Amino acid sequence: MGEVILTMKGIDKSFPGVHALDHVDLEVRAGEVHALMGENGAGKSTLMKVLTGIYKKDSGTITYFGKEVEFHNTREAQDAGVVIVHQELNMVGDLTVAQNIFIGREPKKGIRIDDKKMIEDSKKLFERLKIDINPREKMKNLTVGKQQMCEIAKAISHDCKLIIFDEPSAALTEKEIDDLFKIIRDLRAQNMGIIYISHRMDEIKVITDRVTVMRDGGYVGTLITKDSTKEDIINMMVGRVIYEDPKTHSMCPPDAPVVLKVEHLNAGHMVQDVSFELHKGEILGFSGLMGAGRTETARAIFGADPKQSGKISIMGKDGQLHEVTINNPQDAVKAGIGYLSEDRRRFGVVVQKSIIENSTLACLDDFANGPFINKAKEKKETERLIKELATKTPSADQLVMNLSGGNQQKVVIAKWLIRNSDILIFDEPTRGIDVGAKNEIYKLMNKLASEGKSIIMISSEMTEILRMSDRIVVMCEGKKTGEIRIEEATQENIMDKATRNIN
Amino acid sequence: MEKIKQNPIVKKIGFNRIILICVLILMYVAFCVGIKGFAAAGTKHLLNTMNYVYFLGFLSLGVTFVIATGGIDFSIGPVMFCCALVGGYCLNSYKMPLVADIIIAIVIGLVFGIFNGYMVAYQKVPAFIISMASMNIAKGAAAVFTKTQSQSWPLSTDPVNGWFRNIISVNGFPVGLVIFAIAAVICGIILYNTKMGRYILCLGSNREAVRLSGVNTKKWEMSAYVMCGLLTGIAAIFFVAAYTTVQPGYGDQYNNEAIAGCVMGGTSMVGGLASILGTVIGVFIISLLQEGILALGLGKDIQLIVTGIIVIVAVYADVTARRRKN
Repeated sequence: MGEVILTMKGIDKSFPGVHALDHVDLEVRAGEVHALMGENGAGKSTLMKVLTGIYKKDSGTITYFGKEVEFHNTREAQDAGVVIVHQELNMVGDLTVAQNIFIGREPKKGIRIDDKKMIEDSKKLFERLKIDINPREKMKNLTVGKQQMCEIAKAISHDCKLIIFDEPSAALTEKEIDDLFKIIRDLRAQNMGIIYISHRMDEIKVITDRVTVMRDGGYVGTLITKDSTKEDIINMMVGRVIYEDPKTHSMCPPDAPVVLKVEHLNAGHMVQDVSFELHKGEILGFSGLMGAGRTETARAIFGADPKQSGKISIMGKDGQLHEVTINNPQDAVKAGIGYLSEDRRRFGVVVQKSIIENSTLACLDDFANGPFINKAKEKKETERLIKELATKTPSADQLVMNLSGGNQQKVVIAKWLIRNSDILIFDEPTRGIDVGAKNEIYKLMNKLASEGKSIIMISSEMTEILRMSDRIVVMCEGKKTGEIRIEEATQENIMDKATRNIN
Repeated sequence: MEKIKQNPIVKKIGFNRIILICVLILMYVAFCVGIKGFAAAGTKHLLNTMNYVYFLGFLSLGVTFVIATGGIDFSIGPVMFCCALVGGYCLNSYKMPLVADIIIAIVIGLVFGIFNGYMVAYQKVPAFIISMASMNIAKGAAAVFTKTQSQSWPLSTDPVNGWFRNIISVNGFPVGLVIFAIAAVICGIILYNTKMGRYILCLGSNREAVRLSGVNTKKWEMSAYVMCGLLTGIAAIFFVAAYTTVQPGYGDQYNNEAIAGCVMGGTSMVGGLASILGTVIGVFIISLLQEGILALGLGKDIQLIVTGIIVIVAVYADVTARRRKN
């Protein structure tokens, strides 16, 4: 490791209602790979956005090559030699590799683009990276791994000195990851500073020199990778948070029948061979880091997205499991599944419509005589649920957009209760909901489970998982990596499974 | 002002609707005062306006359903002409009975509605494109079928089919107005009191949320276009009952007028909000306006400019109101 090239000190950043970064420090040296780790929402991305000028910091200093700097946009950061290789690739498929690398700054010959020079320069870049890609190839014909290499080539073409990798390996195969690591080692040998953001613990051990851990927007500490164990890092990531009354034992009787059985479910890249069982009256927590494929699994079960294969069985009226075909949400709703999306405004409620209209949306047939809606019956039933769920609203005719997040969530719950769905999938049930309302939602979920509803709860909040679940399924990168009984669950063993990439 | 807005009757009708009614009345007064001979001509101008209201009203009611889903239909004007032309050709050349011709005309409208709706809802072709294509097909097909002959429907003096004119008026009593009013009421009931209307409005507002509630959104989206097609066919009957003759190759201008009437009345171009009463008032305003322009001695061209401006203003008002709300 060489001299210090970047020092971020005491970086503070607030958004309305959130203290996103609280006095965060980060130091990167020339010729090192520096890992940045933390749970979802720890502030890694925000910190990088502050560094590259996408966000303006509230306070703190950034020193880059001995000079205090503040970049106002990514262009300025690029010009100074700080570039990001994003997780999602920003490439134009129908352009060639060379055109993509030099997009927006094509070499000119008079008024014409100098294709020859562009291709020559691309070749030189690839030589430097010791990779073999034809600059004339159309971008869309390359594998994701190769596209990532092009993204890196584009980054180093800026004559960069500090390169940030934001979860570069998420979409890559093992072979491609090896190639990526080779390149990263080469860049390190060329005395560049590298910031490497990843959730994969194994990679961190292999490729990085130091690790900085963040938690809840704060700086936790920096470790030398080779002197620390995986457990050290996990402990720093989860910390010793005192969370409210975690569940100590399952509320679900051990002999409760299985109401939903999912076997070998495959749906795209994000859901690979997922199998699990849900018991009657159980709250089954789905834990994992961002992009673990939990929402995708739920959407595939619910028929919201297409699936490639897998068997779904649901308990029928006779108490036996029957295989069901779910090709669209209609089938799922008919089978008794209700899905409460993490993004309520987009997928949960029709904000321009009233509570009544939203509450009866899933079973309007029950409120209709032929084609006509029985509005009195609708109103009565909605008002009953408003009372039962303690939804705060002046009337049932109130438009949903005028309600708070917690009350909007209650409207969605009411929708599935009126539909009498037995299996409820709560996707991040308390996202965007304030603390008081959160507790109400928790109580409600417990009540529903005790009344015999079966609940799948996807949550990125560790405290929520440990407080609510009777059993926990952990996912990582589209695969189920573990199943933990609540009695044995700790933040550490959940995080361990959530960062374990099983290929 | 706020007090007026909170009044329960005003709330029921809608503040904007009341403004529109005032605009309509003021317009009429302005024409009577400002245009020489407008008031003196007695009921002549009013009857002309009514004739326009009948066919435009049905077109506008139909397109209200489509716009409520967040879609658009630019084919209604030419499809209306296609219905009238093909029906007329059956009457004049094949000597089919008048009732059959009327049914044929309405069925053609329905077929276009089914086609547009299927392509938009099930095949996910943008409504803009598919209705543009339908517009050309309607124009071309009508011209081919009639061998580019204009078609005339029976006059009231026709010994056999003279009753045809009774759908507009009997001895000066405006039957057409009654039929249109009934149609508007039925449309209102469909939109606000049936499952179809509920689903159309909800999916126009947030299609994905409705789909994830287990609703067959494709079916209901298509139903809006079918409804529009049916009303377009009926519009064709009222058009020829008022103006007797149709010529192949025309009809485009009524698209804009129908959409203008609908949007002016408070139906949002992005879907989810629709007002049948608003559409009806909007249609009256457009119809009176075109009569006023003609009475001023200005031609169709000015009328086109005015309708164009109305569409822009109405849509702009809708967009800014929405922006302010968010």
